[in-house]
Amino acid sequence: MAKGKKSEPGELIGEVVDVPLHSITRNRFLNYAVSVITSRALPDVRDGLKPVQRRILYAMYKDLKLTPDKKTLKCAKIVGQVLGNYHPHGDSAVYEALVRMAQPWSLRYPLIEGQGNFGSIDGDGAAAYRYTEAKLQKVAVPFLEEITKDTVEFRSNFDDSDKEPTVLPSRIPQLLVNGCTGIAVGVATNIPPHNLNEVVEAAVHLVDNPQATTAELLTKIKGPDFPTGGQLLESRETLAEIYENGQGRIRCRGEYELEEGKRSERHVVVTSIPYMVNKSSLVEAIGAIIMEKKIPHLLDVRDESTDKIRIVLVLKKDADPETVMAYLYKHTPLRSSFHVNMTCLVPDQSPLGVRPDRLSLAEALTHFNEFRYEVTVRRLKHELRLIKERLHILEGFKILFDDLDTALDIIRNSDGRADAAAKIMDRFPLDEKQTDAILDLRLYRLGRPDVQSVLDELEDKTRKKDELEMLLDSPTRLWGVVKDEMLEMAQAHGDTRRTKVLVRGAEEYSYDEQSLIVDEDATVLISRDGWIRRVGSVSDLSKARVRPGDELQYAVRGSTLCPILFFSNYGICYTCLVNDIVATTGYGDPIHGTFAFKDGEKIIACFILDERVLPGPITAEGEEEPEIQAVSLTSDGKGFRFSLQSYMESSTKNGRKFARPAGGAQVVGVKLCKPNTQLLASGTRFGRGALCKLEEVNFLSGAGKGVTVIKLGADDRLVGFEPLEEESPTSEGLKLIRDNGGTEIVVHPRYVKITGRAGKGQTLLKRGLLNAVEPPLQVVGPPDEAAEEGSGAASEETAAAADQGSASTEADYEGEQEEKVDVE
Amino acid sequence: MSAASSYSAADITVLTGLEPVRKRPHMYIGSTDDQGLHHLIWEIVDNSIDEVMNGHASFVEVELQADGHTIKVTDNGRGIPVDVHPESGKPALELILTTLHAGGKFEGSNYTFSGGLHGVGASVVNALATELVAEVKRDGVLHRQVYHKGIPEGPLTTLGEARGTGTSITFSPDPEIFPNIEFNSKVILEVLEAKSYLHRCKVVFKDRKEDVIHRLDPGDGLEGYLRKLLADVPKDPIFDQIFTFAKDEGFKMEVALQWVEASGESIRSYVNGIETQLGGTHDQGLKTALVRAVRTYMDISGTSTKGLKISADDIRDGVRAVLSVYVADPQFKGQTKDRLNNPEVTSAVSGAVAPALEQFLLTNPSVSDGIVGRIITGAKRRAAAEAATALVSRKSVSKRLNLPGKLADCSSNKAELSEIFIVEGDSAGGSAKQARDRHYQAILPLRGKVLNTEQASMKKIGANREISDLVSALGCGVGKNLDLSKLRYGRVVILTDADSDGHHIAGLLLTFFFRYMRDLLEAGHVYLGRPPLYRVRYGKKTEWAWNEEQRDAILTQVKGNTKAEITRFKGLGEMTPKQLKETTLDPESRTLFRVTVADFDLADRAVKDCFGKDSRLRYQLVMERSAEADEVDV
Repeated sequence: MAKGKKSEPGELIGEVVDVPLHSITRNRFLNYAVSVITSRALPDVRDGLKPVQRRILYAMYKDLKLTPDKKTLKCAKIVGQVLGNYHPHGDSAVYEALVRMAQPWSLRYPLIEGQGNFGSIDGDGAAAYRYTEAKLQKVAVPFLEEITKDTVEFRSNFDDSDKEPTVLPSRIPQLLVNGCTGIAVGVATNIPPHNLNEVVEAAVHLVDNPQATTAELLTKIKGPDFPTGGQLLESRETLAEIYENGQGRIRCRGEYELEEGKRSERHVVVTSIPYMVNKSSLVEAIGAIIMEKKIPHLLDVRDESTDKIRIVLVLKKDADPETVMAYLYKHTPLRSSFHVNMTCLVPDQSPLGVRPDRLSLAEALTHFNEFRYEVTVRRLKHELRLIKERLHILEGFKILFDDLDTALDIIRNSDGRADAAAKIMDRFPLDEKQTDAILDLRLYRLGRPDVQSVLDELEDKTRKKDELEMLLDSPTRLWGVVKDEMLEMAQAHGDTRRTKVLVRGAEEYSYDEQSLIVDEDATVLISRDGWIRRVGSVSDLSKARVRPGDELQYAVRGSTLCPILFFSNYGICYTCLVNDIVATTGYGDPIHGTFAFKDGEKIIACFILDERVLPGPITAEGEEEPEIQAVSLTSDGKGFRFSLQSYMESSTKNGRKFARPAGGAQVVGVKLCKPNTQLLASGTRFGRGALCKLEEVNFLSGAGKGVTVIKLGADDRLVGFEPLEEESPTSEGLKLIRDNGGTEIVVHPRYVKITGRAGKGQTLLKRGLLNAVEPPLQVVGPPDEAAEEGSGAASEETAAAADQGSASTEADYEGEQEEKVDVE
Repeated sequence: MSAASSYSAADITVLTGLEPVRKRPHMYIGSTDDQGLHHLIWEIVDNSIDEVMNGHASFVEVELQADGHTIKVTDNGRGIPVDVHPESGKPALELILTTLHAGGKFEGSNYTFSGGLHGVGASVVNALATELVAEVKRDGVLHRQVYHKGIPEGPLTTLGEARGTGTSITFSPDPEIFPNIEFNSKVILEVLEAKSYLHRCKVVFKDRKEDVIHRLDPGDGLEGYLRKLLADVPKDPIFDQIFTFAKDEGFKMEVALQWVEASGESIRSYVNGIETQLGGTHDQGLKTALVRAVRTYMDISGTSTKGLKISADDIRDGVRAVLSVYVADPQFKGQTKDRLNNPEVTSAVSGAVAPALEQFLLTNPSVSDGIVGRIITGAKRRAAAEAATALVSRKSVSKRLNLPGKLADCSSNKAELSEIFIVEGDSAGGSAKQARDRHYQAILPLRGKVLNTEQASMKKIGANREISDLVSALGCGVGKNLDLSKLRYGRVVILTDADSDGHHIAGLLLTFFFRYMRDLLEAGHVYLGRPPLYRVRYGKKTEWAWNEEQRDAILTQVKGNTKAEITRFKGLGEMTPKQLKETTLDPESRTLFRVTVADFDLADRAVKDCFGKDSRLRYQLVMERSAEADEVDV
């Protein structure tokens, strides 16, 4: 601000131009977006490089001359050169790009040779750039050696102090060979690497057959060729589709070999991993699976990698490696997907000279071929121009040599160089350039041998000129040169494929979840509050841990491979494998979390369907009733028989309906009917009991309400039932007991008449309320050999007896005088 | 009934006399205001309730007489012993009513739990009453004794036969002690109600003053009490079902609990039937238990909170509970024994309640999911509020102390005359600070890319350092709290580098202003600075160009052999402070773009297209309009 003004500071605003928000925001955004797309994140289809990569290679070649035959140079200098001359962005961006170009696991054909720590496949970073050194790899030279031959356009660098190439005259189809990954604004790219030999073959094929189909090209290019090897899972058809559209998912998995391990072990050695997978994270993921005991056959994992991948998986001797690998492929990055998106910058007529486009394989190769053609023509023209210039000079010499003495006279008598030149041009048909060259000649060159060599050169150059002119006149021959040069590249730098591809795609391993389960017996403990857990064996149920205030309600035993069925009072059956139940020494898991129990839902029966303890088959063909069935009664006195067959497969969290209790009734229980059970005993709250033939209770093939088993009085409800063997002295009958204890009342053919179903039953008790007697808690299932004998059954019975005793002393105020009805 | 027979004068312990009570009544009843006055009733009522609690009585009757200051408390308990105490030679009744610290409660064997003032109760009331009449029915005989200010009018007399047993105490507070002796019916009713529910004890309150009789029937105990409390002040319970838990063996306690929509937590707690207004260790135990149970449930049910941290306060928010515990030897803190201090009670309560509540939650998933839903909603609300407060607490500052450290403020505090330059990066900040006119130009350097506020959550925005620095520097608040009168600078100038990242940041800042401070834009306070793009040097002259035409125009002036050197500016840091001042900051020579919201819909669309979550819109925009980009990086 000018001094001495009266106005206060800030009063003067200066020139103000109004701009609407929408246009300025869009303008600022587009400047950013277009910049990122065209000069940051996407590669050029011609040289396959992002700007930062191109600038690094160019600076290393042209400014620092770091060709493969030179010594390596500190990366700090390289980064500095790139920043100072060409790339006005952050130093870390430049160094990271440089490091990646040197990593043999990142690039199929690394362009830079690094000296020092350039990171590892385990995701370790490279050392800081003050430590590391680098130079160009041999394979990078073909990108650059034609740069001086006017092969590509140059433009000013950011501060107009220098020129930089807009694209490198690469002889190698870098875009496909090394691939590229980048995220711009609105667009992104992800191009997998390929084998040089194959890509060159395909490119050459495309020169000869410009209309070649993707399928044809895929006979040359078998698919991606990742630096880390691995095995592709996609079939040729899938790959054809992906290369046709320029996008799609390619799955790749690591390979493995089998090795014999120590005595009881078997080793699976993973020898390759998918591209861009961090090895140490992969090993951690496998380690986690071992820790969580997801695959009991997998004992250990060791990363024994050096420069070669070697991850050793230690398996049990009898384990099936395919099953283990199938699990690891499914659940770890050992199988990974590469999402192809062949987006790159394609030259066009716009002011920017390029536009982003997603290309098919053929398009990408065609762009490269055309670019090579253009570069070749420009290079040859450049050579021709140089030859013509030389010829011009040589022709001058020839004129001179024809009359050398005259020329020497003129020079001898001249007043210095300018005068001599003028006089020579007067005397001979020579132009300025030729004259200059003559005057620059050394005297010894006038001897006979040198004169002859000039004449020879004249002849030679003339012939070359003719050749070049002929060549430049024939596109066919030019294309031949393009092809030859590409094949030369393949010859010099090509190698064998690393990633395995099969025509049909690799066979996917599948595995059966059950095959991962170790078959062993286990006891499942279920508490009244619904906490479930699995233990190997239990010697004393009374000492099993339960949460404060809770108590064990069921203990069932069976093989880990067997289904366990939980029946709830709401008529739902939940099934899982015994193995699915948490194995813990703690309280276990609440069943409400394992399955979607609703409010007030609880377990009323629980079975493990283990063939060893089932008295007969539970399955049957077609409409037949199975030999072993279940019977279920609801609190409203209705009941039905049903097959357990439909509930053997593991259910969802929501379970399967087996009964549809109506009008607020609940399922009282589910009991197995053994082959010789013929009677069904039932008892009610208000003291009525009935016996009917089991066969009169209908067999239902789906969930239903069932038929009336015992007709209930108002407000009465069923409290217990029991399938019985007729007239068997060993059969105990249905035991009922009054709320306040006392003697057990038994519903048994000895005391109760057998009637048809749906009767009201007999009065068992005049007054008072009945409940079913809980059977003493004991393990149901095959014998538990591990559990010590003697400690279990006896002590439990005494505990149960003591409990009953205390119950009867407590209840003493009402109903003392009630009489027990003789039920006989 | 064997316990009653051994409760005799031999059980009464004499500790001290009554005189101190009248001298320092506040030491015994806390105060002589209305609270202290009503305390007298509770002392007597608690004695009767003790009889009920211990199973010797079935009801308590309280009668407020028409005069408003006479209270009669009757129970059908065992009756206070009237036999002669062997040590003092007086009847036990007289001893209890005239001696401090006399009573059966000290011996432990007669009373399991007691909440009264350890026996000071009845004698204190007696001492502070103008008249107290004690009537005891015991052993088939009715006994009576009258006291004035704690002194017996005469010996214990017998009034003949009586049926049953029981005690009845009638008293009137002494106006010499209490400035106001009028009892409050409402207060009495409320407290009796609580006592009734708590002890499941039938209480009759005969209010002769208001001429009503309240028959308090506790019904379902604490659950009923909680329902009543919630019904009195409707709070939208999450579920009708109330969690209750009672434990009788060992440690005796009872709790009723529910979550309501309204915020805040309220636990009404009692120790031995006495309300503990300030809570204490039992409250603490309940709080611990419910936090633990809910966390376990959320864990088991696999409730995902997606990075949201659920605090203990979040879980307890909305809890309404009544808690009653019985402690054999309660210790209290605070003058009015309002805070339980027994440390063992905490773990006893939490150890008992947590598993039970956990089980309740597990077996009632519909209830628990509602509760968890409420807790998560509450936690989200809290997180959002915290985020907003984080912004607000900085934005509300008018004092310079709270301004971000990076801000180089100007000396003028006239908002309409001062301007702030938001510059990109510290490297630009340095030269901008030197180039400015410190009187009225402030500089705020922002580091790196600004958060994309079009996509970020309010919480993330609140936590973002750069955004909150900006908001606090501007001082005018943000969002709904925007108050332009507090704006500290009349012109807010975005001054970013002329490269692609600079453009990006400018776009992001405009997005923030548009979405969160639109008034600022609409009032024309937001500007974009305009640094030059080119510097042309020829001979000894230096000129600036803002576009290519200007540059070329300058080049035509270059004559003869003079070589022109053209530099394309990219970062503000490339310019010396002097150059920056000449070209960009000095109003004499600069140009500013004032950003206007000419058309809301267009602006909204542009911001959505450029920075919104839908990347397809962005792709479309880039593909269709890339030609509009006029400053593209090479």
